Amino acid sequence: MKRRIALLLASAMLLTSAVAGLASCKEGEGGSDSGKKGHVYYLNFKPEVDTQWQELAAKYTEETGIQVDVVTAANGKYEEKLTAEMAKEDAPTLFQVNGPTGLASWDEYCYDLTDSDVAKELSTDTFALKNSEGKVKGIAYATECFGIIVRKDLLEKAGHTLDEIKNFETLKTVVEDITARKDELGFSAFTTTALDSGNFWRMHTHLANLPLYYEFKADKVDADKDVPSIKGTYIDNYKQIFDLYLNNCTVEPSLTTGMTVDQARDEFVTGKAVFFQNGDWEYGNITKDDVLKDDQIAMIPIYIGVEGEENQGMCAGTENYWVVNGDSADEDIQATLDFMKWLVTSETGTTALADEMGFASPFKSAKAPKNYLDKFNNDSMAAGKEVVTWVFKAMPSEDYKNEVGSALAGYAAKMDDASWNVVKTAFVDGWASEYTKAHE
Amino acid sequence: MGKTLKKNPLYLLLFMAPTVAAFIVGFVYPFGMGIYLSLCKFKTMKHIDFVGFKNYLKLFEGGTDGERFIQSFWFTALFAVVSTIAINVLAFTVAVLLTKNFGGTNLFRTIFFMPNLLGGVLLGTIWKILINGILSVFKDSLINKGIYGFFGLLIVLLWQQIGYMMIIYVAGLQGVSEDLKEAARIDGASSKQVLFKVTIPLVMPSISMCTFLTITNGFKLFDQNIAMTAGLPNHETEMLALNIYNTFYGTRGQMGFGQAKAVVFFLIVGAIAILQLKITQSKEAD
Amino acid sequence: MESTNNLKSADQIKVKRKKSDYIFTIVFSIVCLFWVYPLFMVLYNAFKKKAAIIPYPFDLPNSETFVGADNFVQAVSNSATGLGFFSALLTSLIITVLSVALILLCTSMCAYYVTRVKTWYTAIFYYLCLFSMIVPFQMIMYPLSIITDRLKLNNPINISIVYLGFGAGTALFMFTNFLKALPADIEEAAMIDGCGPVKTFFYVVMPIMKPTIISVGILETMWIWNDFLLPSLVLAKEYKTVPIVIQYFNAGRGQSEWGAIMASMVITITPIVILYFCMQKHIIKGVLSGAVKG
Repeated sequence: MKRRIALLLASAMLLTSAVAGLASCKEGEGGSDSGKKGHVYYLNFKPEVDTQWQELAAKYTEETGIQVDVVTAANGKYEEKLTAEMAKEDAPTLFQVNGPTGLASWDEYCYDLTDSDVAKELSTDTFALKNSEGKVKGIAYATECFGIIVRKDLLEKAGHTLDEIKNFETLKTVVEDITARKDELGFSAFTTTALDSGNFWRMHTHLANLPLYYEFKADKVDADKDVPSIKGTYIDNYKQIFDLYLNNCTVEPSLTTGMTVDQARDEFVTGKAVFFQNGDWEYGNITKDDVLKDDQIAMIPIYIGVEGEENQGMCAGTENYWVVNGDSADEDIQATLDFMKWLVTSETGTTALADEMGFASPFKSAKAPKNYLDKFNNDSMAAGKEVVTWVFKAMPSEDYKNEVGSALAGYAAKMDDASWNVVKTAFVDGWASEYTKAHE
Repeated sequence: MGKTLKKNPLYLLLFMAPTVAAFIVGFVYPFGMGIYLSLCKFKTMKHIDFVGFKNYLKLFEGGTDGERFIQSFWFTALFAVVSTIAINVLAFTVAVLLTKNFGGTNLFRTIFFMPNLLGGVLLGTIWKILINGILSVFKDSLINKGIYGFFGLLIVLLWQQIGYMMIIYVAGLQGVSEDLKEAARIDGASSKQVLFKVTIPLVMPSISMCTFLTITNGFKLFDQNIAMTAGLPNHETEMLALNIYNTFYGTRGQMGFGQAKAVVFFLIVGAIAILQLKITQSKEAD
Repeated sequence: MESTNNLKSADQIKVKRKKSDYIFTIVFSIVCLFWVYPLFMVLYNAFKKKAAIIPYPFDLPNSETFVGADNFVQAVSNSATGLGFFSALLTSLIITVLSVALILLCTSMCAYYVTRVKTWYTAIFYYLCLFSMIVPFQMIMYPLSIITDRLKLNNPINISIVYLGFGAGTALFMFTNFLKALPADIEEAAMIDGCGPVKTFFYVVMPIMKPTIISVGILETMWIWNDFLLPSLVLAKEYKTVPIVIQYFNAGRGQSEWGAIMASMVITITPIVILYFCMQKHIIKGVLSGAVKG
């Protein structure tokens, strides 16, 4: 009896493992089948356009018979996912890095794109990401711009116009006037500074871009190369604009550390504030369901009080670069290169990138997305204003950004000199120490 | 029974082999590999350079990294101890009360248990919204002071785990026979004496199990930590698991160092947990 | 004399108890209201529009903020296939059921062997399992994702082996803790009656272990059902679990779909709550039958 039960159990277990083994076999076959033709596996960085990518991949497969898999990493989990996936047999053939710092981590994997078709499709060479040896390894696929988005209608209601704002001083005058009449007007100058954990990016990278830009400009530093240290020449300007945000936003500074960018956007959309520091990617969000119309909004540069800033334009650049996994099988690399070319040249590809995902792509045959906020960047460029390039991508590590962000939140909670010194240390000294760590 | 089981190797195969095999795949191999990686420098899994104990030395040679690790160790230790005591005392009290015979005990048990049904990230998110909602009345927010984060995390963990531990204690308490307690009462023991001299020694197995579970959970806490405070302000509420995690992804080329931290972390928690188990198990009544 | 005294005090206690009964019930009712409030908060926020959730978590939906089932529709229709959420639900269900069943069966048997056969290798294995409970997942996640990829443990069926391996520690610890306290008399009686170890285990030991099996089952179910990191690193790219799908509502640059997040929380919790209520009867029954433990 007992023997029979034992036997029964043993055979049940064998069966389970056999089924498991079978399942894996079947999968292995499937993998090798598509392997001959070459396939594409794209590890997408942006969760908000996951659906669009899935649809586009399906269309490509339908058109060409080449299998394209798109997997999207969760927000803030890209490095984790990428590190794990790259060690697998079926590794991504196409993935993304955020600039020179990201490329340095993955350089040894990246396929040399110098002579690729997609690199030739770039409208200007500045959007090719080169490694330390000067080889093109990354291709920018979406360029963006940011500044201060303005509720024109509210600004006019407060008795001011866009033309008044030409530099930091004039911005400050307008902002402080609105704050002084906040109760009477029923709205504030700025949306909340939003400094809850995970919401620092507007302040620790985008806003920090301005003091960094002016410093690099003065010292002739090339942000596309490694930058071992900074001096913090414009740190006081950084404080000046940050103070202006904190003192004139919808809530008390100490409350901003509990608030998110979602809330800031809601305040802007519902007319609780005039100014909202953000980028053209917000266009879809703020005009969704016709809550705001084009004639209600505008974008102005972020002024931080540097001499000659009257001639400053928006901050424009990219931190999204495609790179191809050079470790993939040759046919997969070829399939990936073909797919990329199709994305930037075909009607379906360019339409999807521009209209469905809303990307302004730097390719010759790219379509312009319907994005009213881009008009302000184009206008200011046409008027000969100086484009502020994205130099924050030279920041030495993610840790560096987080340290600055957490120091800024600490400052918002107390707003005293001691806590600003923490920001200063994180911003200036932190750069050098993080650089050393990353390069040891 | 032991002899019969031992006699026939077929039983060893049947009872032990599946778990042991899975354990090797799911734990022993990755763990061994993890220890090896702690002696290496690597950015990705492709190029791994052996560097010996360099990563470990880095932890003890001072500098902000080492200091932060030690700071987060003390924060974690304090949190683990406080939460272990609080969870177990409260869970035990609730269990004692809910084994009494009054209306609604079944419903109450169910309700106390329900927070367990949520995952750590969701729990952290919900409570962050709640606590910030309350603090905003006082013009304050969760990440402004380290102490808020500490108590915030404590509340979350209490809310999550009291219910589960309570169920284990209820199971233990139901096993304590009424006759024994009654006998003690007849011998003139006060209800306090009955509790401490009869009930608690008899539920010691449950206590040692619950304290082991809570202390290891306290030390390993990660999801709630990242969802609620992410270590803010200024690393004050950064627990060990989060500290290690940040080392992994924060700066390129620091993964070996992160692995080394994880090994040290493991040794510390291992020592504490085994010590705790020895202490409570020695008090278990046979 | 003594007996009358006893009777008297028993009477007094009875009267007293009735009063304290009321107080206990009232006090616990109040505590429980606070206890369920956060869950209730998730429920009613799932019916509010996105913008009204985070700033005003305490407000109930009103005519202005109520959006009906919109959030739920958004939650289940986020993927290109339109069935993304349901297939994720199915994947999560398969993984959870299979893994928990496997863990309960294998580790309870293993624990039985470990407690009854005391030799060097069972002792080593037991302590290794305890160690595994302490190891942070971050330490082993890359090696684990590589070995599971090579061994093809990356589908919803085979991943249960990974969960068995990584989850063995807690389960084994809880089972051995129970079995140690279980006197071997009953088993020996069964042996004399002619049962072999296998039959004894399944017909005698397992029924007694029921309360522990349920406790372990709950713990493992919660862990696996809500787990994000392990499946996201281990599963092959075509599979997604519910926690993975929910993460997509949390897009970058402050584009969190709070309405959909709340709704998917409700959808995720509901099956577990139902399961719990179904098991509830067994838990109580199991706990009471566990009185043998003594």
